[in-house]
Amino acid sequence: MWQKSKPYLLLLPATGTIVLLFFGGLFDGLLKSMGYFPAIGEVGFSFDAYTDLWNSSSFWSSLGLTFRVAFLSSIISGLLGGVLAISLFMLHNSGKNKGAGLWHRVFQLPLTIPHLVGAYVIVLLFMQSGLFSKLFASMGLIDTISDFPVLVNDPFGWGIILTYAWKEAPFVSLMVYPVLMRIHGSWRDASRVFGANNRQFIREIALPVMMPSWTIAVFIVFVFTFSAFEVPFLLGVTYPNMLSVHSYQLYTSGTLADRPEALAINLVLSGLTVILGLIVYYFSKRWNVLKGWQ
Amino acid sequence: MKKISFWILLLLSLLLIGIPFFALILTSVSVGWQWPNLLPDSLSFRSWDYVLRGSSGTWRAIGISLLIAFIVTIVNIVLAVPAANALVRYRIKGKWLAEAILFAPIIIPPFVSVMGIHLTFLRLGLTETVLGVVLAHLSPTLPYMVRALITSYSTLSVDWEDQARMLGAGPFQRFYAVVLPHLLPGIAAGASLSILISLSQYLITFIIGSGQVVTLPVLLFPFISGGDPAVASAYSILFAGMAILALLGMDLSLKSYYRRKKSVSVNGRGAGNDEGTSFRPN
Repeated sequence: MWQKSKPYLLLLPATGTIVLLFFGGLFDGLLKSMGYFPAIGEVGFSFDAYTDLWNSSSFWSSLGLTFRVAFLSSIISGLLGGVLAISLFMLHNSGKNKGAGLWHRVFQLPLTIPHLVGAYVIVLLFMQSGLFSKLFASMGLIDTISDFPVLVNDPFGWGIILTYAWKEAPFVSLMVYPVLMRIHGSWRDASRVFGANNRQFIREIALPVMMPSWTIAVFIVFVFTFSAFEVPFLLGVTYPNMLSVHSYQLYTSGTLADRPEALAINLVLSGLTVILGLIVYYFSKRWNVLKGWQ
Repeated sequence: MKKISFWILLLLSLLLIGIPFFALILTSVSVGWQWPNLLPDSLSFRSWDYVLRGSSGTWRAIGISLLIAFIVTIVNIVLAVPAANALVRYRIKGKWLAEAILFAPIIIPPFVSVMGIHLTFLRLGLTETVLGVVLAHLSPTLPYMVRALITSYSTLSVDWEDQARMLGAGPFQRFYAVVLPHLLPGIAAGASLSILISLSQYLITFIIGSGQVVTLPVLLFPFISGGDPAVASAYSILFAGMAILALLGMDLSLKSYYRRKKSVSVNGRGAGNDEGTSFRPN
């Protein structure tokens, strides 16, 4: 009996904690989003919050903004990270391994920086009176502060996109670089024998090899950006804002009547991230991204 | 080609690392930095003085941040070791379900759950307490600890424990002398992530702590959302530095552990499976 139930007992503390604290919270939120809240005497169920959401234009513009920001952030960080990984790989291939290893470590630095700090760095660099604006002014490219485009707290979300492009590029590189390192030196030699130059080697061998893990990395960035809060909260505008911020503003707006709608947004957001997450999981299994080939 | 990739790397490192840090450091010591000037009018350590010495409560906030991160990490280790053991070494019905439960907080943003449970925590008197914040930090961090330990367990053969058993070691001796040393790199990797994630939580700390549990991110948030730029920059550097130092400390203590191990045991290879994250190249 003990032998049979032992693994389940070993699993119980961890799964119990997550079920209680995490799924308990989700379930609690679900009940309250449907208006079930015995503590204030509400015991009926209704889908009012969800129908309100469906008919609210601010929800749809938030959703649109969220998709746009997540898409652009993941694509830009993917491009930067891809260039970074290939450069590291080519440097590694061209001889001095030590140098490449050091570079690799240096580029992990932005990963350890908290998102709040990352967002503030973007404020310092890209606000209208920021460092780049000062740089352009002293080079004579712009004459007044207002000549510099509004890139922070802008309705399009550029500030948020810039932050994630910067913060997640090293992450993409970190995911892709090990896969590139599995390319044998002999492949490089073989490609040379057939007359391939560096550019052809990158296009014909390096890019196809890194493509599956690159796609997954970009998708992970997308899912992450999709539900992130801190950076859009700091760098966004009041309207339209990203879903997480929209929900937070409804939740803390003071009236209890808005809370079910805030929790409904949260659950819609979770549903979307679960779907996106399952897509990532499916393709990473199918392409065997995390294990690579032998 | 070597030259090109070197220059690309140099450019990227300037863009991604050099300029951002330069901007933070310079702003933190600037006074009255007028717009078209490329450099501040004058330099002073006023903001650092305020942050580190004034009545700003910085040290208290750092203490509370580290205390919460530390408790969260210890609880994570205690919960994750048996769970990883079960997932790797036993045949379990519904293993996918256990994994789905344990890894769900990676996909679903934790603030969703925290907002849902907020009023229940309020009723139980857990809001505005360190305990409540610790409980809120558990679900975003635990999955990473489990993941790191699964990697460790999957390279630990049962034979080693059987050998120890044959030599007469009891269960606690076996765990302490055989299993634990092998798990340490995984524990360190998981602890690093757990500390890093706990330290950088703002929203869930703010919701559950209701502004009364002042961790460093809660303290610095008003400054970076429109406060004095010099003070905000000083806090940002401090915040980033705290995270990096916590990671470095973890790395160094692990290295020194193995160095000591090496000097006493003949087979000094130890359990040097470097699984920082499973994506890290060797």
